Order: sequence, then structure tokens, then C-alpha cells
Amino acid sequence: MANHKILLVEDNPDDVELALHACQSNRIDADIIVARDGEEALEYLFCTGRHAGRTCKDIPSVMVLDLKLPGIGGLEVLRSLRQHPETRRIPVVILTSSEDEAHVVGGYELGVNSYIRKPAEFAAFTQIMSQLQRYWLVTNTAPPV
Amino acid sequence: MSQTDKSVRTGGDAPMTSVDMESIDAHEGGSPLAPAVLGRGIGLRLLTAIFLFSSAVTLLTTLFELYVDYRGQVQDIRDRFAEIEAGYLGSLGGSLWSLDVDQIQLQIEGIKRLPDMQYLEVREIGRNIKRRVLVSIGERGVGPVLTQEYPIVYAENKDKGAEQTIGILYVEATLSGVYSRLVDKAVVILISQGIKTFLVSMFILYIVYRLVTRHLVSIAQYVGSFNLSSSPALALIRRRPSQEDELDRMVGAFNDMSSGLRELYRELHEVNAELEEDIAARRKAEEEVTRLNAELEQRVRQRTADLEASNKELDAFTYSVSHDLRAPLRRIEGFGQILDNEYTAKLDERFHHYLERIRAGAHDMSEMIDSFLKLSRSTRSEITIERVNLSDLAAKVVARLREKEPQRSVAVIIAPDMITEGDRRLLESVMENLLGNAWKYSRHNKAAEISFSTEQAGDRTVYVVRDNGAGFDMNYLDRLFMPFCRLHRSEEFEGTGIGLATVLRILARHGGRIWGEGAIGKGATFRFTLWEGGEPDGKP
Repeated sequence: MANHKILLVEDNPDDVELALHACQSNRIDADIIVARDGEEALEYLFCTGRHAGRTCKDIPSVMVLDLKLPGIGGLEVLRSLRQHPETRRIPVVILTSSEDEAHVVGGYELGVNSYIRKPAEFAAFTQIMSQLQRYWLVTNTAPPV
Repeated sequence: MSQTDKSVRTGGDAPMTSVDMESIDAHEGGSPLAPAVLGRGIGLRLLTAIFLFSSAVTLLTTLFELYVDYRGQVQDIRDRFAEIEAGYLGSLGGSLWSLDVDQIQLQIEGIKRLPDMQYLEVREIGRNIKRRVLVSIGERGVGPVLTQEYPIVYAENKDKGAEQTIGILYVEATLSGVYSRLVDKAVVILISQGIKTFLVSMFILYIVYRLVTRHLVSIAQYVGSFNLSSSPALALIRRRPSQEDELDRMVGAFNDMSSGLRELYRELHEVNAELEEDIAARRKAEEEVTRLNAELEQRVRQRTADLEASNKELDAFTYSVSHDLRAPLRRIEGFGQILDNEYTAKLDERFHHYLERIRAGAHDMSEMIDSFLKLSRSTRSEITIERVNLSDLAAKVVARLREKEPQRSVAVIIAPDMITEGDRRLLESVMENLLGNAWKYSRHNKAAEISFSTEQAGDRTVYVVRDNGAGFDMNYLDRLFMPFCRLHRSEEFEGTGIGLATVLRILARHGGRIWGEGAIGKGATFRFTLWEGGEPDGKP
């Protein structure tokens, strides 16, 4: 079985580093692909631009999406994803510090699979990342390619 | 008016004109007068009265005169009867005695030639004869008559007095002549009296017209078209009598009255003008006030809107700033945690201490931001009004406090069923802050007591939260409700200094107030109200 792929969409390099650190400590075998903004996330998913040479059939098992992104926002990425048949079944987890109810509602309207608020404590964050991987990569059955 | 003017002018030439008094009454207030008509005015009534009275007097005097005349004429006839007795009876006796019918005939013919004699007869009276008509002349019993019978006496020897009635002379005198003469006379009297009466009446009427009626007409005319502001004084067109008469007095009185009225009218006008000016000034002032008010209202509305907008902006800014501050804090926390977890063995105690301080600082700041967000939420969030049992909320809050510090023994008394209306989440925050404070600041009291109850102030319910904890200095009362102002050092009592500021804002949004009292070491009491301006509109 090929390695699971997690697409992490997060603009802040520190947050990326922390997330990667949290994931590494879980010892779950997964490739984490980092997109640093919405545009790059879409390029990855549709194999264009910076990710033009990629095998498009190789879709991620889960996409972890921040909402506050420069340029194309998180919800817009989600919308584009849900619009295309090749990508619309990808499980998406929103991981954000936003407490705005409109974001929660907007996320679910666009068919997000989970909405998680970033906790302040790093320990709690690590735990959440662990649960997230365990659930989406192990417990959950991904849609067939 | 021209019609009436004309009739009044022509009135001078036609003395029969009079004023229609009734139409003056009916047209009070200056409508055109009907032309003066003889038929319906004083003139006719005067004429009728004079005529009737004069005729009655004429009739009575005529009747009296006729009566006297009648009596005179009847007396004449009676005198004639006496004349017959004296002049004819003696010779008639002789003729009858001698039965000389021709002679008798001649004699009574002589009598009949006397005026008014109509019928005569001579009857003889004898031993076997009872009143046999011997001779008669004329027609008997036609019309009204006067009759007389005379005994015809014959005395053979006048000295012995042996008189003997031998017949009767019967005389009828007619009254027809008398009557016809009386009728003629009556006719003459009546006609002459009638003409005289008529002429006198007309004369009187003319005089009355000249002296009174025509002036009445012109007065009525004048009064009818009387205008306070423009009519000249009333004056009669006539030769002034040497002495002032009733009309003069009336004209004088009227002119006095109208000049009085004119004066009053002028004063009224002045007062009116003043009033009008006053009213105009007031209206202007009112308009000005209204305009200023509207302007002020508009300004207040604008300012309020501006203020609301900037408040909202500020709130939004506060919210987003506090929110954004969290991300770097989380990073500090995260990397601190990693350092703590993975590098402890490689680094010394001093490093540990500083790392600990960094993480504690980040934690404090995070707490501060949390309460800041709460404060912001207390003003930003939508309020949902529902029935809230404050007693239940308080019990829930106390239960949580007990759970957090199970080792503490605090006597908490909560009055039952304190029910109000408001936003459940925000009121819970109020209870959390007030009871949390009471709980926190009574920490050093071994026999801590907290109570939550109500008092009645008039028809208003005042909620009271009381503790017997550290209390506070009343001098700093005003700082109690200011955000981030604390009265205790944080080593003594932890906190961000935002709780009571949040409570104040939440209560303000529930139409309520809060105030506190206390003394250092003697505990604190906080009182608050809800919906002082009345119940909320949006009842559930």
C-alpha cells in the first residue's frame, strides 16, 4: 500500500513546522505535502503550475485546511475542490484559530468533513494532530481512487 | 345699493313713500332696503287710523245732528196739529152740526194743504151712529205716519156749557218727507265729512312723511350700509328746526354710539394687530425651535450613528487584534513546549527558569486575550431574550467553582426562583464573574460565606451578591468597573481586571445598573438591577 498523503494548507512557516513536529511524534507513516497558500493547494490538486508534473490520480487521503490564507482563502479552496468530480470526494478537515460562526457554517455548507479549532496549548495541538491522522488515515476508509 | 339710493332720492318728490319697517327688521345688517312703499308702511296705518277714527266721529256727530233735526221736524208737525185744533175745529163743528158735507169737504181740503198732511177723515157720532166716516180725503196708512184724533164738539149755547161731541176729526201726517229730507242731509254731511277727513289724513300723512318717515328711511338706509371704518357721521337732509327734536336727539345718540364704536373698533384693531404681530413672532420662534430641534435631532442621530459605527469598528478591531494575537502566542507556547520536552537534558537550570518565565508570560497573555475577547463578545454578540432562572444559573456556577477547588468549604446561600428575562449566556457570565469574584476574594477567610438574594426598592427588584472576603477600599470604587484596573496585586489574587467591566456592559445591555460597597477585610456587596426602563420588547 502506497504511503498516505496529507495535504496541509498553512501559510505560516512556524505553524507548518509545529504541525510537522506534532505529526512526526505520532509515528504514523504518511507523506505530508505542504501548500503555503490557496493557489498552491489548488495547483497541487489539479496538477497545474508548480505541481504540473505530478501524477494526478494520486490524491491525498485528507486535506487539512487553514482558513486564513493569503490570496485565495480556505473556503474558496474548499469550494473549488467540491466543484470538480476528481477532487470532490477528498476528505477535508478545517483546522483554524477562527471562532467566527460564519466560518463554521460556511465550511459545513461547502461539505467540510470536520472543523477543528486550534487549541492554545501545544500539547493539546499535538494530541489533536495525532487523533486527526489516526482517524483519517487508519480508522476512516478513504474514497476509492 | 343704487336701487335703494334711487328710491330714497325720489322719496323727496313723492311724499307717499314710506319705509318698510318689517323689511328693515328682516334685513338687519345692511342688505339693500326694499323701496319705500305706501302700502305696507307707517303711512297706510296712519291713514287707516285717522280715517277710521275720523269717520266714526263724523258718523256719530251726523247721527246726533240728524236726530236733533228729526225731533225738530216732528215737533213742527205736532205744532201743525195744534194749529188745526185751534184754527179749524170750531168751524168744522158748525159744518158737521149742519151736516154740510161740501163745507166739510172744503174745510178738510184746506187742512190737507198744510205740509206733510196725508189723510184726513171726519167721522160723525150720533145716537145710533158709531163713528161713521162722513168725509175722507187722501190715502190712509201709507208709510210712516203721525196720527191725531180730535173730538168735534158743538155747543148750542156756549154760555151754558152744554157741549156735545158730534164727531171726530182724524188726521194722518206722513213722515216720508221728514225722512227723505233727513237722508238728503245725511248724504251731504257724510260726503263733505268724508272729503274733509281724507284731505286732513293726507295732510297729516304728508306732514308725518316730511317730518319723520323720510328721515327714518334715510336713517335706515344709512344704518343698513353702515360701515365703521368709512361711513361719515349720520346727518339728516332738512331744514333744522329751531329747537332740537326727537330725530336730532336720535341722530346725536346714534353718532355718539357710532363714534364710540369706531373708537372701540380702532382699539380692537390695534390690539388685533399687536396680537397678530405677537402670534407671527411666536410662530416664527416656534418654527425656529422646531427647525433647531430637527437639526439637533439630526445631528444627534448622525453622531449616534457615527459613534455606533466607530464603536462597532473599535469592537471589531479589538476582536480581530485579540484574535490575531493568539496565533503568535500559540507558536511561542508550541516551541516552548518542544524545547521543554526535547532539550531539557541538554540545557541547564537557568535555561529552564527562563523558558518557564517565557511560557508563563505567554500563558498570562493568552488569558488576558481570552477575557478581552469575552468583554468584546459581551458587547458584540446578539442578545436573545428568554426566561432565565438566576437561582439556577448561580447554583450551576457555584457547582463549577466547588469542582475547581473542592478543598475549600464555602457556605453559599442562594435565594430560590429569582426569575427574570435576558440572554442566558450573558447572564451566566454575570453570575460567573460576580460569584467567581466572591469565591476568589473570600479565599483567605476560613468561614467564607457567599449569598445571592434580592431586595425590593420600591417596585424594583435589586439583586445582591455578598461575601465576607477581602473587600475593597471604597476610595477606588470608580476604578472597580474599569477594564484592566485591579485593586489587588496579582500574587495575592490572580485575575485580568476585566470581569466587572464585562458585568457592567452586560447589565447595561439588559437595561440594568451595578454598584458595589465594601471595606478592606470586611467583604464586598454588589447590587445590580435589570430592565429598569421596563421589560424588554422581544419577549420570548
